[in-house]
Amino acid sequence: MKKQEKAKAYLFRYWQLYAMLIIPFLYFLLFKYVPLFGNVLAFRRYRPGMGPFGTEWVGLHYFQRFWGDPAFWRAFRNTLVLSLLNLVVNFPIPIVFAILLNEVRWLPFKKAVQTVSYMPRFISTVVVIAILGELLSPSTGIVNIIRMNVFGQKAIYFINEAKYFRWIYILVDTWQYTGWTAIIYLAAITAIPADLYEAATIDGATRIQQIFYVTIPSIMPTIMVMLILNVGRLLSLGFEKVLLLYTPDNSMVSDIIDTLVYRTGLANQNYSYATAIGLFSGIIGVILVSSSNFLSRKITGEGVY
Amino acid sequence: MKKVLGITLVLVTCVLLGVSAQGAKEQVVKPLEFSVFYSDNATLPFKDTWLTVTEIQKRTGVKVNWEIIPIADYKTKVSLALNTGTNAPDVILYQSTKGENAALALNGAIVPISDYPEWTPHFNARVKEFGLENDVDLLKLKDGKRYYMPALFDVPFYDGGLILREDLLKKYNLPVPKTFDDLYAVLKEFKRHAPDSYPLTILAGPRVLYRMTMPSWGVSLGKNGASGTNTLSWDYDKKQYFAGAISEQYKSYITFFHKLYAEGLLDPEMAEPIDGDRWTQKLATGKAMASYAYYDQIGGVEANSNIPGFKLQMYPALAGPAGAHHQEKSRTGGGVMFPIKTSRRADFEQVVRAVDEMFFSEENAKLWCLGVEGITYTVKNGKVVFADEFVNAKEGIYKSMQVKHGTGSDVTQMVWVNAREMTKYDDNYARINAEVEAMGDVIRYIPPTPKFDDKQAEEAGSLQTPLHDAWERWNSAFLTGAKSIDRDWNAYVQEMKNLGIDRFLELYNSNL
Amino acid sequence: MKSYRDRSTILFQILVYTVMIFTLMVTLIPLISMAALSLSSSKAIVNNEVFLWPKGLTFEAYRQIFTYPNFFRAYGNTIFYTFFGTAISLLVMIFFAFPLSKPALKGTKFVLKLVVFSMFFSGGLIPNYLLISNLGLTNTRWAILLPFAINQFNLILLINFFKSIPIDLEEAAIIDGVNYAGILTRIVLPLSGAALATVGLYTAVFFWNDWFNGLIYLKSSQFPVMLFLRNIVTGTSMVGEAAGVGDKSAIAISIKSAVIVTSTLPIILLYPFLQRYFVKGVMIGAVKG
Repeated sequence: MKKQEKAKAYLFRYWQLYAMLIIPFLYFLLFKYVPLFGNVLAFRRYRPGMGPFGTEWVGLHYFQRFWGDPAFWRAFRNTLVLSLLNLVVNFPIPIVFAILLNEVRWLPFKKAVQTVSYMPRFISTVVVIAILGELLSPSTGIVNIIRMNVFGQKAIYFINEAKYFRWIYILVDTWQYTGWTAIIYLAAITAIPADLYEAATIDGATRIQQIFYVTIPSIMPTIMVMLILNVGRLLSLGFEKVLLLYTPDNSMVSDIIDTLVYRTGLANQNYSYATAIGLFSGIIGVILVSSSNFLSRKITGEGVY
Repeated sequence: MKKVLGITLVLVTCVLLGVSAQGAKEQVVKPLEFSVFYSDNATLPFKDTWLTVTEIQKRTGVKVNWEIIPIADYKTKVSLALNTGTNAPDVILYQSTKGENAALALNGAIVPISDYPEWTPHFNARVKEFGLENDVDLLKLKDGKRYYMPALFDVPFYDGGLILREDLLKKYNLPVPKTFDDLYAVLKEFKRHAPDSYPLTILAGPRVLYRMTMPSWGVSLGKNGASGTNTLSWDYDKKQYFAGAISEQYKSYITFFHKLYAEGLLDPEMAEPIDGDRWTQKLATGKAMASYAYYDQIGGVEANSNIPGFKLQMYPALAGPAGAHHQEKSRTGGGVMFPIKTSRRADFEQVVRAVDEMFFSEENAKLWCLGVEGITYTVKNGKVVFADEFVNAKEGIYKSMQVKHGTGSDVTQMVWVNAREMTKYDDNYARINAEVEAMGDVIRYIPPTPKFDDKQAEEAGSLQTPLHDAWERWNSAFLTGAKSIDRDWNAYVQEMKNLGIDRFLELYNSNL
Repeated sequence: MKSYRDRSTILFQILVYTVMIFTLMVTLIPLISMAALSLSSSKAIVNNEVFLWPKGLTFEAYRQIFTYPNFFRAYGNTIFYTFFGTAISLLVMIFFAFPLSKPALKGTKFVLKLVVFSMFFSGGLIPNYLLISNLGLTNTRWAILLPFAINQFNLILLINFFKSIPIDLEEAAIIDGVNYAGILTRIVLPLSGAALATVGLYTAVFFWNDWFNGLIYLKSSQFPVMLFLRNIVTGTSMVGEAAGVGDKSAIAISIKSAVIVTSTLPIILLYPFLQRYFVKGVMIGAVKG
């Protein structure tokens, strides 16, 4: 009796919040969870034209197929390495950029840099790689021309060599997304109450000290949330970008899970195989997010959930 | 009283008139209407004001609802429509039953059009006229039925191939090359005069080079290889597949091209496809003097060059160890197919007949190729003469008509008569084609597709990709010298065997 | 004391401005170069004469784009989807995020877990297509406006922002007798300018750039402009997935550059308008008083 009454009282008190929640929640379940039934395809054989859920159960057949394929594990390793490297390099940079940008006193300049910095994000990857190809071309590219004429070195065919692939990918990502990602951090920084800085100034802190003792701690929740989400997405990379940079010569490091699935699964219309790998990657993603959320809570008290 | 009666009379008359008019309207036959998927190429975007489009609807009395889908995403949309069966159009253009479409057809997603020969008289007539009964028969799937009406070519064209700087040949007093060894000598001479250049460059990646040159060695490999298997080739004498990727012919091929590469005659940027503009740049500025590409691209390069006397010419296929052969071409192409839901229409027969007439009738075949007589062309002394605006156009007759009126489009033109096509090109092109035809057997047919069922198709698919990946890697390594053909060939063959090339070959040969 | 602080501050300012100028150069140069290419003649481009300034000034590339069949209709479609899609999305997400930003509320932790986990799994193309088709949305504009209203990533950001608003403000309001609807509209939203602007921008960009969903769910008269523009750039590309399809055709780089300018300029200009929402929140008064 008491429990029911308590529940009723709770609902009565917070009914508005639940009312706000209910429609978006149903909406969310409909569009995000209902299609997940399609994942049953990972355990069934798909036959084109005979229904989207396959025609017969094959158990773990497709899982066994990629589990035993050395090309898959190589792609898996490539994905992890590239992702981690990308995280280490490209996670801090937008934060630093946002903080520095916030320190610019000359307002028109600040606004100009803000706007310009996020423009690269809008240039389609195809074009970016095409431009890159021009710049790094061993015969006509400006980078090699400088290297040959100023430093007397031999031309390097950067795009084709395995050892440059990762750095090219990462630096292109930096160029494309720094300004864009920084926007979130800038928004968080503007939410910091001005009195915190005033108090710090009164206490005699320099601008640099204020950054370390006021700005960063204040946006720490945002940073942690972004970190957790990015760790969760470790297995998903810029598919188009990798595909464009892929050549047979750098395939040993450039083949990632998504490009492998694209070639072996989708290009041959083997949706079951592709779904199986997708399911596997999803499970790993969930494990990663849960662990990082847990760690984050333990260490900083912040988390996504 | 009289007034009321009068008004009632008027009202009743109006109603009666209205009802009878309605009845009369229902008796008028509604024009046939159906929807069509059209694959749109950005270089000749679809216009519903195109003469061909308006005229064809006028002639057949059909109302067509065109769904214009960008070419890069066309396959995706078709695949989705056929796989889910929902929102499919009535007619799909520019498709064949390769790959997934074969499985879809066998599983009942597409209408087996070969079941309705009485409804496709025009198509049947054209097939007979071109002598393509055998070729069309080969398009039947494992269940003995054919699922689309292909585009028909009476004779394959030589529309692309070796392109050289004709002005330089003359300048350096070089003979026109007839074999690949001749080409080697020509390239070496070019390089001697321009040591910083890489005489032979490639368009769109090595695949264009391979598919146009490998046949002269008796193999066809790679992404656009004739068979679509990437690693198997067709033996035209024995009429069966062989493992081209590990054959002596291929070894000989890659040895030759490695030599070109090692001596700086081949553009080292081979590995990664060059953008069309860079290719144009290399040729127009003289950084390269030879390439394998398509005839209608020559104009674009010449127009942009500042070099005096710059002239590019296309040459017939060169002879290699297996003769002078060019990329294999089929005499049938992508054509019309009907999703199964169309067959459930009450007027299905009418739709099929209308489509058959629209694309395959003698009169309409001329429409899609030449346009409308009196508007786009006139016939003088039995010869077709095009309107001045096209003859004088910068991009040439073919292209300017394509853009303005929609003629000559791969998507809608289903009947290709070589002689008729030649009228749209300059004399030079016609001359080259005649020369190639005189050489005999330059362009051979595309090897037959085996008749797989689902499971076999899946097994073949799972073997195909790793084999292709391995071949690409080794090919690139052999070409650049990263791996030595002499010392590492056996290791390469072993790897291919480990990946199952023998099983792959067996699958193909036992299902022909 | 003061001079020491001044020196390190000055050094710091130099660092800041150096970084900013470097950023400007690295991002602006390629963009200016592209604008120049879009206005140059193809002959000049082929002969490597164009870098930062157009040569052989011509508007031909733009003319070709603007006369592309149904260009303006497609552009209108895109603006429609962007505007209404973003509006609907923000509306739904605000109502979703506000309750979820109260971790004490029972059930929110569970819902949040559901949200996060859904980010890693997808049903794939066909199940999604079938769902939207069975809801009767295909070939209608709603297919774009409805299914993508909730983006989990943006939702989580919004939740985070709402969480960062000091709880004292809310408590003060409750004491004053304001209900949750009022708290949302009168306290939380006004203080969330930067957050809403950010999420709004991210969402708008998503709709603006989307071509894939437009391709599969709509009929051609409803296609967004990005689908056609992308086709111009990639459909004739020699690289990547579309390679092979465009072997025979080549579209000048001047047109490709013009496509980039046409397709990105409007959305790029959105941010400067939103910048005024990025102002320091004024929090004093409500709590202290």
